[in-house]
Amino acid sequence: MNKPTPPKTEAFRALAPPKERSEASRVVRRITRQPFAIIAFAWLAVIVLWAVFADVLAPYDPLQNNFTPDEVLQGPSAEHWLGTDENGRDVLSRIIFGARVALAVGFGSVLVAMLIGVPIGLLLGFRGGWSDRIGTRFVDIFDALPGMLVAFAVIAILGRGLPSLMLAIGLIFCMNFARMSRAITLSERSKLYIDAARVSGIRESAILFRQILPNLAGPLVIQAAILTGSAIIIESALSFLGIGLESAVPSWGGLLGVAAAKQAIQPFLAFPPGLVIIFTVLAFNMVGDAVNDALAGDQHKRIKPVRRSRRAGAAVASVVPATDPSPDAVVNPLPIWPEPVTDRDVEGEPDADRREPVRALPPLGVAPDRSSGDILEVRGLDVELRPASGPHVPLVRDVNLTIGRGEIVGLLGESGSGKSMLARSILGLLPPGIGVASGRILLNGEDIAGRGEKDLRAIRGTEIAAVFQDPMAALSPVHTVGKQLMEPLRVHLGLSKKQARVRAAELLDRVGVRDAANRLNDYPFQFSGGMAQRVAIAIALAAGPKLVIADEATSALDVTTQAQVLDLLLDLRDEFGMAILLITHDLGVVAEACDRVAVMYAGEIVEVAEVDRMFDGPRHPYTAALLAANPTTEAQVDRLPTIPGRVPLAGSWPTGCHFAGRCAFATDACSEGSVAFVDDVRCVRADELSKELVVR
Amino acid sequence: MNPQVESAAPAPVPASVSGSAPEVSPQQAGPEASAPRSPLLSVRDLGISYGASKRNPKLVVEGVTFDIFPGETLGLVGESGSGKSTTGRAVLRLLDVAAGSIAFDGVDITSFGRSTPLSYRRDVQAVFQDPSMSLNPRQPVHMALTAALKRHGIGDAASRRAKVHEAFDLVGLQAAHLNRYPAELSGGQQQRVAIARALVLDPKLVICDEAVSALDLSTQSQIINLLSDLQEELGMSYLFIAHDLGIVRHISDRIAVMRTGRLVELATAHDLFEHPQHAYTRRLLGASPAEHPEGRVERRAQRTAYAKLHAEGLIEP
Repeated sequence: MNKPTPPKTEAFRALAPPKERSEASRVVRRITRQPFAIIAFAWLAVIVLWAVFADVLAPYDPLQNNFTPDEVLQGPSAEHWLGTDENGRDVLSRIIFGARVALAVGFGSVLVAMLIGVPIGLLLGFRGGWSDRIGTRFVDIFDALPGMLVAFAVIAILGRGLPSLMLAIGLIFCMNFARMSRAITLSERSKLYIDAARVSGIRESAILFRQILPNLAGPLVIQAAILTGSAIIIESALSFLGIGLESAVPSWGGLLGVAAAKQAIQPFLAFPPGLVIIFTVLAFNMVGDAVNDALAGDQHKRIKPVRRSRRAGAAVASVVPATDPSPDAVVNPLPIWPEPVTDRDVEGEPDADRREPVRALPPLGVAPDRSSGDILEVRGLDVELRPASGPHVPLVRDVNLTIGRGEIVGLLGESGSGKSMLARSILGLLPPGIGVASGRILLNGEDIAGRGEKDLRAIRGTEIAAVFQDPMAALSPVHTVGKQLMEPLRVHLGLSKKQARVRAAELLDRVGVRDAANRLNDYPFQFSGGMAQRVAIAIALAAGPKLVIADEATSALDVTTQAQVLDLLLDLRDEFGMAILLITHDLGVVAEACDRVAVMYAGEIVEVAEVDRMFDGPRHPYTAALLAANPTTEAQVDRLPTIPGRVPLAGSWPTGCHFAGRCAFATDACSEGSVAFVDDVRCVRADELSKELVVR
Repeated sequence: MNPQVESAAPAPVPASVSGSAPEVSPQQAGPEASAPRSPLLSVRDLGISYGASKRNPKLVVEGVTFDIFPGETLGLVGESGSGKSTTGRAVLRLLDVAAGSIAFDGVDITSFGRSTPLSYRRDVQAVFQDPSMSLNPRQPVHMALTAALKRHGIGDAASRRAKVHEAFDLVGLQAAHLNRYPAELSGGQQQRVAIARALVLDPKLVICDEAVSALDLSTQSQIINLLSDLQEELGMSYLFIAHDLGIVRHISDRIAVMRTGRLVELATAHDLFEHPQHAYTRRLLGASPAEHPEGRVERRAQRTAYAKLHAEGLIEP
């Protein structure tokens, strides 16, 4: 029944990296792919080697004075590669020994800063409430003090020396760490997994250190790397000013101080310490950036745009522009496409006509004889993910779908079915790296697949509009709803500000927002979820679109609000006559609102039917299984029927029918080859099963 | 409704509680008179306030009273903002209680003060709505279970590992899933881990707060079946919180309906669906998406008529 599908496709291998590779090793691998990071690491390795093996590497004792006139303030020579300083000491040796001071101060002060800052931040963020409010003010005040001043004060009190230098610089940085850890703790604290840990009885301290602290690790490493660089600069600055370490101790900043004093006599003296400081600080910053990029994952990779296959493109070229809305305009471009495969050429094999021919071009299902009435016509649409490396991954395959004017078509599917990808390809809102590989999207008979932003802007709002699941994410939080509602009216309909305001109030009133004229001045957060969705619908409708794509527009609302918003959409459809593509995973939404339904599974549309027909006589086993598994059905049974297994991920779709692995009616024939979409159903056994697929 | 449960725990469903009045009084909800067993959880006049000062408490939950019996499932239904999840969180002691009492096994848990006894943390567990959020994204999933067992001092390292295995097996996961990170599992598998975490401590009561709302249709049924099977096998009680009446119907013995912080109706699942008493329950039933398009024109007309009355102020808001 639940037979595993062998990973045949190349794409599967690309998507499923060997599991044993841990997160850490993945991050390391991503770091080593950045050439600048490798250079930075190499430089830091050299500095560390200097610091550790200074006694061996340095050609001279860094403290050995030599006051003979021809040994003081010399330029580079065979004996002293980088010359000598004002006491005749070898500069190269002092630079090499200076690495010890630089690293000790860099790491030491950052460690001090972390030890002070991180616990403060964790505590403030975790306790919250009053202690957080008061504590954060203190952190702010401390952070506002000029860093150098703090350092001066600490050194003035404790005297010069390595420990006081570390403490001074550590104090400058500690509030930086405190703020960062507080912010992260605050956001993690409110997450559900912390509640779950509490319910398990886990101690507060364990929650803090075992659950929350690991979230800090990444940002802390980045911050620490960058601040180590800064610490070296501050150490240099303090030593340059003569209040860092004793002048005899070899430090880069001290060398620079001497170089500044003796600039007139030996200008070369400034270069060795200056360059070493610059490279080291730069290297720490680069390491910080590299770790940051590596933790962020592969998102920054360059992604090639997806182009449609050339032959499909040729078909596009012949499309007559939509300015001519006669039926011919839509039928014209089609002749170069193959005729629908209806001839039963293989005798004795009942399912032969349901086999897909080799798809050189997207096949046509039924000839679009009623296409003149269709606002949207999707033909043979393939959407692909094309990663920077590795094979292409199909996300949507061979979709044929029409939506008539004023019609509400439901697109029903579980997560992973590709329904949102289909919606986004119609809207031209596919993420980078994903695009229409072939096929056509005819809006009013005009092909809009793969159009540029500029072309699409002209049709968005006036021809096609969208309402998404989360209205709070779709609305801008910094503008009033009035401003957001007036913008499409002014841009698309060319209304004056005054006219737009009047029309906006009308629209808001129409979607059921009370006291509309006044509420135009409110911000989205002042609306409840249901009301905000009404506002989003008003904005979508502002410029009178012919097609509205509602992508899970009611899924986040609770049942009563959902019913109200669905009723609103139905009312608006009756009034304005726009078509709606209602994308949902909820059978109830389909039952309440849709005229026709397209059922999607693993990237393919498996069945299209009038809504009553789908509920009464599903033709695809998946549709039947979905209907049977609906937990809200009234049937009084002990156990709910379920569909075994889960939706296969894009990239690991099986050969042949995508549903075969979970289908109760699957035979070997189902997995033999691609199944064609014939008579509005994609199943090789559709004809034989028509009597077996009964719901309830 | 749920015959397995009834056979496991004799007569857990008091017949007298089909609250006919809009406001459910303790007497009506209290089954002491008719049921031979004492309730596992007994909530009386629960009040919860948010943010407001002590002198001027703004109650988001008020006068909520219900019982849950051993082996029983109580559905708690309402719109967002009705206080149903808040009530669940109060039982989990994630929130402070402003008024009333919550007695678990005869002990008033509101008297615990700041700290919660470990035994309570063992007996009462939770499964939350969003499985991807309720697991720590930076830990392999078995850690949540192992840490809980360790905290409660159950077994040594080896027997804990065995127990985690057992719990994974019970919820239909394989040993291979133990070391996965949450992001590597599907939503349904994540929710199974969350259920395993709740079960591994052998609880008496599990609060399922919208436990299937974020899941796909076919996965919802799988998880609901799993929860019923586990109840039959282990005999714990559920408080099943959801906004959709249709979903709780299958799993609940009794259903409580909440609205704006108050309980408006409490009845057996059958009575609530067949003879809803309160106008709000009827409206909730009407709003619940139907399972068939048949009669949708009438339903829409009904809703529109109600909305119109509501807009004209003829019905209390």
